Amino acid sequence: MNSAKANILAKLKMQLPAATDAALPAEPAAAPEVRSPAQNVEQFVRLLTDNHAEVMRIKRAEIAASVKTLLQQRDINQLMCGSGWVDALQEIEGEISLNTFYPSIDGNKDTLFNSVPAAITGSRCAIAATGSIVLWPDASEPRSLSLVPPLHIVVVEQSAIYNDFGELIRKQRWSEQLPTNAVLISGPSKTADIQQTLAYGAHGPRELVVLLVE
Amino acid sequence: MNTRANTIATDGSKYEASARQFRGNVARDLANPQLRENFRGAMDYLTDKRRQAFPSEDELETLRRKCQLIKQRCLLKLPELLEQLESKLEQNGIQVHWAETTAEANTIIAELIQRKNGTKVVKGKSMVSEETALNDHLQAQGIECLETDMGEYIVQMAGEHPSHIIMPAIHQNKSQVADLFAHNIPGFDYTTDVDTLIRTGRQALRDKFCHADVGVTGVNFAVAETGTLCLVENEGNGRMVSTVPEMHIAITGIEKVVELLDDVPPLLSLLTRSATGQIISTYFNMITHPRREGEKDGPKEVHLVLLDNGRSQAFADEELRQTLQCIRCGACMNHCPVYTRIGGHAYGTVYPGPIGKIVSPHMLGLEATKDLPTASSLCGACGEVCPVKIPIPKILLRLRKESVKAKGEPLVVKGQGCNRKPLEAGIWKLWSRLNTSPVIYAIAMWLASRGRWLTPAKAGAWTRVRTLPKPARRPLRELVKQREQRREGQ
Ligand code: SF4
Repeated sequence: MNSAKANILAKLKMQLPAATDAALPAEPAAAPEVRSPAQNVEQFVRLLTDNHAEVMRIKRAEIAASVKTLLQQRDINQLMCGSGWVDALQEIEGEISLNTFYPSIDGNKDTLFNSVPAAITGSRCAIAATGSIVLWPDASEPRSLSLVPPLHIVVVEQSAIYNDFGELIRKQRWSEQLPTNAVLISGPSKTADIQQTLAYGAHGPRELVVLLVE
Repeated sequence: MNTRANTIATDGSKYEASARQFRGNVARDLANPQLRENFRGAMDYLTDKRRQAFPSEDELETLRRKCQLIKQRCLLKLPELLEQLESKLEQNGIQVHWAETTAEANTIIAELIQRKNGTKVVKGKSMVSEETALNDHLQAQGIECLETDMGEYIVQMAGEHPSHIIMPAIHQNKSQVADLFAHNIPGFDYTTDVDTLIRTGRQALRDKFCHADVGVTGVNFAVAETGTLCLVENEGNGRMVSTVPEMHIAITGIEKVVELLDDVPPLLSLLTRSATGQIISTYFNMITHPRREGEKDGPKEVHLVLLDNGRSQAFADEELRQTLQCIRCGACMNHCPVYTRIGGHAYGTVYPGPIGKIVSPHMLGLEATKDLPTASSLCGACGEVCPVKIPIPKILLRLRKESVKAKGEPLVVKGQGCNRKPLEAGIWKLWSRLNTSPVIYAIAMWLASRGRWLTPAKAGAWTRVRTLPKPARRPLRELVKQREQRREGQ
């Protein structure tokens, strides 16, 4: 054991001879807001929209077409995606050039930062209370997809909207199985660091488009 | 604005020196109307946002109580939680380093970077790295260390330090930022349009993320149960820094560990709502492993540096220990009438405002910071808004007491007794003697009332802004007695 560790722990332990957390009063349970699934969807959409994300409510069969439309509206003709999306987006291949992520980010950072205008990812689930989308990036859908390109399109299943973060963690037993990186996204990147004036696209995506699938 | 930077020396003890200059700093910054206007505007904005984020008083109170108890539980178990955190992190492949002092932390980080032959470091927001003055340390070794949070980027460019723990550049307005960019960014087309200013920063920094060797961040919560480092942010720079470079080094104070993953949602909710009035930040980033076999991005190495820097001293005393409950939301400074007027730099410490006044004495010693606990009207606003219910006003009083403690009493705070003056101590001794003996008290009151014409017009600093009270013509006891006699006579 290195000496800094030993010293710090020794100092802390010396000072806590008899103290125990058993003496603390019970922690009150915060009453969760009760919402029906429909209300959850409504709240999720409202909060994200308030936070400057664009939410499109679509049917599963409409994913590819919606992606094409929203890219064309922005004059974008290429899209990066995880390997799992290639089949689903095949029908737009002609007009939009689809690229999957590199074998590795190493050596490809320059093109990722400078030549990828848009990316699409799926999501694990979502949270109504805060209007958040939950991503568990993995080998097929790397973390920088939802971070580096200026436009992030994310597909969210309406049936996967949880009431709040606490409920989600418990129901999905996160404490037993966290991935390399889990991330909650609640809008496009933003900052109010200059004179409290909100500006979007600080470092991450300037635009977040949510395709909410019924 | 550069005069401010100049008052802060660049050696390791820089904050000790600048904290000593508190009184001078206050006079300087109070005389700057632009600065006061910037702070007033920002504080009004933040207090208003916070108010809107807590529509239900009941819900707020329940949540505060819950989070207070969560933090107290975690602190009571701190030694075992730190060990659990370390073993979980190491199981996950994240290496843990311990540092008692800021110098140790800096050495650890510099060695990690040098081992990778790194020369370019990008940094996410980390107040703990401000504590250690990491930027200065790395720069001295020829390592570029660039702040990437927009506010921090501005502050670093100006050669300053953050004036607020959440909004570091709050002391500057947009025209000051525009001037700064015009001086420092080649090709910048002068404008005060905030969108353009941010886009300018974004452009400059994207290139830096792309080519950095190492990313450094702070940590908002370190979860012992799972070995997870949680980062709260809006800009995405924290994610960049912890995703793109091959090595990620996180640094945090030992008090940031929480026991359970379940503890995180309530703390997160209170943190963002208290800080900026957001129900959640744009990103909540949970890091549990370095890049795994087969994954295509993410850092290959992740390190956590756990820093003590005086925290274990605060830990010793039950009352002072509450200082460590802090989740660094900044609400106490936003609501502080003193902070709003003097601004964040006057304190001369890394952490300004009410939390700075109670935590800095542990980091720098009470001797260097003895003026800070006295710079409070004890209005109680900080304690009322603190999401984890730290009784800041009480702790301020306690530190005032510690600062005038007699020699030879058991050591609680490094530098205790530093403000003790023999004359003052003598006067108080006399005072207590006088007030505990009825006979002496009566005589003294009789003398004071008869000798009231002897009261001087001036009494040092006290009468600079006040008039000295004169004793009454007759002491209360005499008046009451007279009244009783009159009644009886009637
Ligand atoms: S002392 Fe309380 S209010 Fe101040 S920063 Fe810490 S948690 Fe926030």
